[in-house]
Amino acid sequence: MAEIKLQNVVKKYGQLEVVHGIGLDIAHNEFVVLVGPSGCGKSTTLRMIAGLEEISDGTISIGPQVVNELPPRKRNISMVFQNYALYPHMSVRENLGFGLKIAKQPEAVVADRVREAAEILGLEELLERTPAELSGGQRQRVAMGRAIVRHPEAFLFDEPLSNLDAKLRVQMRTEIKKLHQRVKTTVVYVTHDQVEAMTLADRIVVMKDGWIEQVGTPMEVFNHPLNTFVASFIGSPPMNLIDAQITGDKIRLSDGTHLPVPERLENHVREGQEVVFGLRPDDLTPQGHGIAENGHRASVELTVELAELLGTETILYTRINGSEVLGKMFDPRDVSPGERMTFNISLDKVHLFDAQTQKSVRLG
Amino acid sequence: MAKIEKRLPFWQRESFTPFVLLFPAILTLVLVVLLPLLFSLYTSFTGYRLIRPDSLYNFVGFRNYERIFTDWDFWVAFGRTVLFLTIALNLEFLFGLGIALLINRITWGQRTLRTIMMFPMMFSPILVGYQFKFIFNDNIGVLNNALQSLGLSDGAIPWLVDKHLAMGSIIVAEVWMSTSIFAILLLAGLFAMPRDPLEAAKVDGCNPWQVFRHITLPFLMPFAFIAMTIRSLDVARAYDIVDVMTGGGPAGRTELLWTLIARVGYDNSRMGQANAMAYVSILLSIAFTYYFFRKLIAARRYMGGAN
Amino acid sequence: MSSALKKRIGKAVTWALTFLLMLIICMPGLWVVLTGFRPNREVLAKPAVWIPEELSLNNFAQIFGFGAEQVAIPVPAYFTNSLIIALTSTAIAILIGMSGGYAFARFRFRFKDGIFLGLMLSRTVPGIALSLPVFMIWSRIGLIDTKPGLIIVYVALNIPFTIWLIDGFFRQIPKEMSEAAQVDGCTRWQAFWKIEFPLARSGIASAAIFAFLTSWNEYALASQLTRSTDSKTLPVGLMDFTAQFTIDWAGMSAMAVIIIVPALILTFIVQKHLISGLTFGGVKG
Ligand SMILES: Nc1ncnc2c1ncn2[C@@H]1O[C@H](COP(=O)(O)OP(=O)(O)OP(=O)(O)O)[C@@H](O)[C@H]1O
Ligand SMILES: [Mg+2]
Repeated sequence: MAEIKLQNVVKKYGQLEVVHGIGLDIAHNEFVVLVGPSGCGKSTTLRMIAGLEEISDGTISIGPQVVNELPPRKRNISMVFQNYALYPHMSVRENLGFGLKIAKQPEAVVADRVREAAEILGLEELLERTPAELSGGQRQRVAMGRAIVRHPEAFLFDEPLSNLDAKLRVQMRTEIKKLHQRVKTTVVYVTHDQVEAMTLADRIVVMKDGWIEQVGTPMEVFNHPLNTFVASFIGSPPMNLIDAQITGDKIRLSDGTHLPVPERLENHVREGQEVVFGLRPDDLTPQGHGIAENGHRASVELTVELAELLGTETILYTRINGSEVLGKMFDPRDVSPGERMTFNISLDKVHLFDAQTQKSVRLG
Repeated sequence: MAKIEKRLPFWQRESFTPFVLLFPAILTLVLVVLLPLLFSLYTSFTGYRLIRPDSLYNFVGFRNYERIFTDWDFWVAFGRTVLFLTIALNLEFLFGLGIALLINRITWGQRTLRTIMMFPMMFSPILVGYQFKFIFNDNIGVLNNALQSLGLSDGAIPWLVDKHLAMGSIIVAEVWMSTSIFAILLLAGLFAMPRDPLEAAKVDGCNPWQVFRHITLPFLMPFAFIAMTIRSLDVARAYDIVDVMTGGGPAGRTELLWTLIARVGYDNSRMGQANAMAYVSILLSIAFTYYFFRKLIAARRYMGGAN
Repeated sequence: MSSALKKRIGKAVTWALTFLLMLIICMPGLWVVLTGFRPNREVLAKPAVWIPEELSLNNFAQIFGFGAEQVAIPVPAYFTNSLIIALTSTAIAILIGMSGGYAFARFRFRFKDGIFLGLMLSRTVPGIALSLPVFMIWSRIGLIDTKPGLIIVYVALNIPFTIWLIDGFFRQIPKEMSEAAQVDGCTRWQAFWKIEFPLARSGIASAAIFAFLTSWNEYALASQLTRSTDSKTLPVGLMDFTAQFTIDWAGMSAMAVIIIVPALILTFIVQKHLISGLTFGGVKG
């Protein structure tokens, strides 16, 4: 029964500090995803939870116990590595049973648990093979099997899907989700793929440069990004960010377009404030091609430079005062480059960030 | 780090583990190599003779060094050693390259050829010396016998006695013994060579020689430098060969630095002076190793293989 | 000239050169081996006898003391000495080298490059140069002409290269293997013996063979640090033959065969690992 608590956790490599005092409470049975660009300290954080890296400062506890000085084997956690780290000199069966054998479990228990894990993951046929004789997806499954046989307090995953091809990745993603529903445990999952984060997580932790930028459910993080970094990192294609200024009750975009300040944000802005105006491509749609065309709207006239066909929708590349702005066309028709179109802006979905702090205006 | 580490005694800290692991190695080398070398450094400033133990405390300052540096025989042996190494290493590299390119072209039986090629590497230098002493023997040696049987020569050619021939014979033995390390590492380099640059160069219109000169050879150089580094670790193995083939003779014509050290130290029992020479030979070895090690590092960086 | 013909000629030249090369590599050794089976009389004959008329094991029987004539050279004792000294020093050097190689492969620590360079440089000291002070010290502390005396020196001789090779082999094993085992419940020590050691085993075996051959073949130090049948090794013993007025070429060749054979067999076993070990350690740094 394990919740995981990080308090003011710091990691230094010599003089170089790579994680700057982060705090995080992970509830029992929660699926938490750490996401962020390469080098932001996700793996380091995960490895500190696992006990594979020393903690330079702060405390980590698993369940009621502070684990700062416990070696990995005493933390009762399992970890799935990016390159799987299957033991090449052991069969799948031995790989699965290794942890239990080390713990000196009776053979019958080992056999039972291995069978159970193999069944959950569909590995029954492969038990006698060695890792070299498995495909990437099968290896991935064995690695997960090795994690679940020990019935640990928590699973740690470090980019477990990044070595798989796109199609398999989607498939394994669903399997991991199902697995979590089946063997209820706390999961900490690291990825740099925000789609994975959105689909898997109960809560997402967005990291950057060793700091936590935002913690929240996928919907919170998507709908209410706390700063421009989270706004542009979560969601694909990324949110459009345009320099703007508040003049009266209007937002003046850098190209001179005036838009009304949405009601819900009125109390959060001041006259003359420099802001960053954020709008997801989904909320910038050509007239007649949006999803739900009600609510508050404004419209702008823009020239389409390029149209990228995705089937059910088309991404439209336009420009506002020199910077690229993307819109989306649902229920698409043919668009030719250079065409001028009228776009609807859903004012309910507009985000405003302070230009100086890059933080959402709702915060201050 | 500090906060947690302070709670553990220093020998249990993670950062201390590597030193624990390295301790036996370092201890052994300090006891068997470093301390004796310090002792021999001290001895090189004394007039120590084996037959007069009390002379160990007979401090003579730089007299030994003065003496060897003004000794013509020493300089001849020194020069001969450097020349010998230069010739041998270059020949080994050239032959090794040739052999690697040759074997790389062969597809059938390549593994067997590679294995056979490794044999000389594993020969005791003393055996290599003996083998060539036997071959080059003027009276019953295979070489003279063969020349005579074929009617190419009627007298006995004094391979190991003649001034120039003797040195040549020793170089032959040395090259025979050590070429394979070059051949093997260069062959490994050829195997590791990516095909794309070769094909790109061909498409760009390079002729085979240009491809070799500008693509293959630069890629192989780090491998050559590994071989050179490994070789320079034990260049002094040549001592064994010379000792068995000619013993430094006739009349000191094949005397290398190492045989000279043995003669001065053990036969003439002038330990102080021999130790002074030994120091010169150690510096020579270190210089060779360091030179190639630096080149290896540079070549590796150039290849982008280092991490 | 047609390109097919050109290719044929190229192939023929390749094969001719290869044949010549193998001849140069193999002939000297084979000639010595052949001589080992021939009577001395035939070896010394003038004009040369090319086709052996008489082949026998007499020379071997004799140097091992079974022959009719007594040979003054105690080869069986040398052989035993060589074996004991080489095996013991190899075992110790591998244990020490494994521990050191693991440290270099798995840890970052201060002065890492410096220590590595220092270890390697200790190997560059010429045997004969090292023999001088070791001889003086060993004489004083009674290690001269003893097996332990030579074993200690050979351990030191083998450590640097063993560390180099084993470092390379451990590096080929991803660090995650050991980490996975630790998460699975192993101590670091268990993770090493259950996961990393089995995976590096063949590499370590070839490092061991290499160390064995270095000790087995060493001459410069052994020739000064040994005196009698208590500790003299085969390479030093081989020189006994030349000390006599007439060289017993046939007997000496028979003894050479005894030194060569283990080397050849072992080379055959390690060759693959040795190449990968050397290149890996060197190129990937
Ligand atoms: N052993 C180390 N010594 C020094 N710096 C390190 C070490 N390991 C990692 N770092 C640094 O710590 C930072 C965080 O690394 P980490 O591996 O946690 O990134 P990550 O978020 O997992 O990135 P990725 O998505 O590429 O895996 C990086 O800047 C990295 O360079
Ligand atoms: Mg990572």
